[in-house]
Parts: sequence; C-alpha cells; structure tokens
Amino acid sequence: MDYVRELLKGNTDSLLLSLINYQPMYGYQLIKELRKRSNGYFKFKEGTLYPALHRLEKDKLIQGKWQSLPNGQQRRYYYITPKGQQALAKRQVTWQDFSTAVKAIIQPEIS
Amino acid sequence: MNDAISHYLARFKTSLYINPSTKESAARELYAHLQDKSRELREEGFDEEEAEKLAIEALGPPESIAKEIYETHAQGNWQESLFAALPHLMIALLFVSYYWQNIFCLSIALIMVIGVTIYGWHQGKPPWLMPWLGYYLLPVIVSAILLIYLSKGWEWLAALIYTPLALFVVIYIAGQVARQDRLYASLMLAPLPVVFSWLLSLGTGEEFVRGNISILHLEAKVPWVVISFLVLAVATATLIRLKQRQHKIAILLIPSIAIPLAVVLTGGLNPDFWSWFLLTLSLCAFVSPFWIHPAKRSLLHKG
Repeated sequence: MDYVRELLKGNTDSLLLSLINYQPMYGYQLIKELRKRSNGYFKFKEGTLYPALHRLEKDKLIQGKWQSLPNGQQRRYYYITPKGQQALAKRQVTWQDFSTAVKAIIQPEIS
Repeated sequence: MNDAISHYLARFKTSLYINPSTKESAARELYAHLQDKSRELREEGFDEEEAEKLAIEALGPPESIAKEIYETHAQGNWQESLFAALPHLMIALLFVSYYWQNIFCLSIALIMVIGVTIYGWHQGKPPWLMPWLGYYLLPVIVSAILLIYLSKGWEWLAALIYTPLALFVVIYIAGQVARQDRLYASLMLAPLPVVFSWLLSLGTGEEFVRGNISILHLEAKVPWVVISFLVLAVATATLIRLKQRQHKIAILLIPSIAIPLAVVLTGGLNPDFWSWFLLTLSLCAFVSPFWIHPAKRSLLHKG
C-alpha cells in the first residue's frame, strides 16, 4: 500500500496535468475523475490536491480561474497552459520509456 | 456557513502566511470543495451535520494543507534571493570601498533604495522588497530620534509633529507587511538592531541622541561592519531560498541578534542608559511582529 502511495506521490503532477489537459477541471472534480478513471485504484488524499495545484500554478503549468455557477456557487477551474502542455508531453515520453524499461526487467517473458 | 466549516477555514487561514488575496482564494477553494463533498454525502443519506463532519475529515487537518501551500509559495528563486540580499551587499560594498564617506555615492545608494522600494511596493510587496524597505525606513527612524533632542526653541513643534508621524508611518508599513507574513515584517526590520549597534558603538547613547557622534569613527571598525552586513546578506538570501518556516525564522533571528550581541560583548557598546535603551528598542521592534497573536492578526485582516 505504501509503495502505491509513493508511486502516486511521484506522479501526482503528471496525473493532474493529464486530466486538466483533457478538459478544464476544478479541485473536487479532479479527485473524482482520478478515482473514476483508475477504477478506484487511485484514492487521492484530498488535502494533498490543493498544494499540488498551487505548485503547478506557481510553475505556470496550469492557470486557475474563478467561475460562477447558475446556482451562485463559485468554483476555481484549472486550465493547462502552453508550458504545461509541453511539460506533459515530455513527461509522457519519459513515462513510456520508464514503464517499458521496468516491464523489460520485471516481466521479461511478456516483453 | 456552518460553524464546523467556518472554524475549519479560520484554522486554515490562521496557519497560512501568504499574500492575503492568494490566501482568500485558497480558502474559498477549500470551501467550494467542502460544499461539493458534503452535498454528495447528503445525497448518499447522511444528515447535514454528519456530511460536513465527514467532508472535513476527508480533507484532512487544515494546518497540514496550509503548511504545504506555504512551502510552495515561500521559496523564492535565486534571482529573488540575490535581489533581497542586494541592499546589505550594497552597504558592505560602500564600506569596503570607503565610498561610505562620499556624499555622491551615498546619494546614489539612497536613490536606489527609494526607487526599488517604490517599485516593489507597487508590485504587491514581494519578499525581496523587505530589506530595501527596511533601509528606506531607517533614515525616518533615526531622524525622528535625533529631532527630539536636537530641536531648540520653536523647533520642538517640528519634533512634536514629525516624531509621531514617523512612528505612525513605520508602524503602518510594518502592519501592512505583517498582514502578508509577520516574518517579512521582521525581515524588513532586521537591519535596525545591526545599524543601531554600530551607530551606538561610536560614543555614548546620550552623545548619539544629541547628535554628537562622528560617523567617521567607524573607520577603525570597517572590516567588522563589512562582515556584519555580509552575514546579513547571506542570511537574507538563504531565507528567501528556504521552504520551511522554522528554518526561515532561525536564519533571520540568529544573525540579527548575534551581531548586536557581538558588538556588546567586544566592548563596542557603552554601558549607559541611552545605549541600552535604544539597542533594546531596536531589538524589540525587530522581534515585535512575532508577538502579534495569530488571532489578533486575523482580526487585523478582517479590519
């Protein structure tokens, strides 16, 4: 379990960038989407999401914008920036290479 | 807003030492999150109170979130840390080159301090501004002290108006900075005890307040003055680069207290009332932002 948590911690930024690249999302939506798309495998600690979003925004990889809903509720939607798209593309390539290399060692008969 | 949620957000805001508008936005975002989560839980059949309690529990301790967000915003880059250290380096350079006696060079330094301070203030008071702001306020403070004793005849009226006004300006600016972070208010006031300890080492405290000291007497102490401002510069640059708040506080407190203490211990300070009074006053001003209780600070925010 700790191993999964460590893996998730190391890839939080890439996962968030991927989701926001798919469509602009707000904090709670990101948590739900992460859980839904991983079939419940990723149970993100909710409190760790917002510091991660602040970090990505400070690095100018995403940009947050407040939007009002018809019911008066306000939500902060996050949009990926061109710099964020470039960073995501690099991370996707790195992840592919890494996962291929790990598979080649852990599951040599499959690869 | 429910009591439990408002209490949670109040704890979050009290623990977060960042720019007030960013802090407010972060708190609003947590509020929106809690609203969404508790609405979903209510739809699953929980009553309102239980739903809010579970939503708060799922989000985790507000202090932990605040700490992580603080560490994201608190770390400046190398350029910012160099820019923050620059006024201390400039003072060290003035002394090491012996240009501190040259009115032209002093005027250039003063114009730089005023220019950078005005620019930084309008840029939203970034952390690198604080040391510049400290040197900007220094002449205001010293002249207020000197005016009390130097005024003769009707000039005391000028002192009567100027001194409270200077005090008000310093307290107002320190308050504005402390709204963002008390640590930055202390960073701003850090040159105060160092400069005062060197000025007071030039004669008795009474001679200082009567304006009977000659700054030229610093000549024999130049290497130590340079070292003290270099130490202050290194501490400032390190503070800007550090992430953790406790480390930032330590790196600020140690040199700003150790340098005046070193001046005292090496016999540089005369053991008279005014010397001790002014040095203690400058040290108290430097640490005073930490005395403001977080609860009072949040009241100030509301005000």
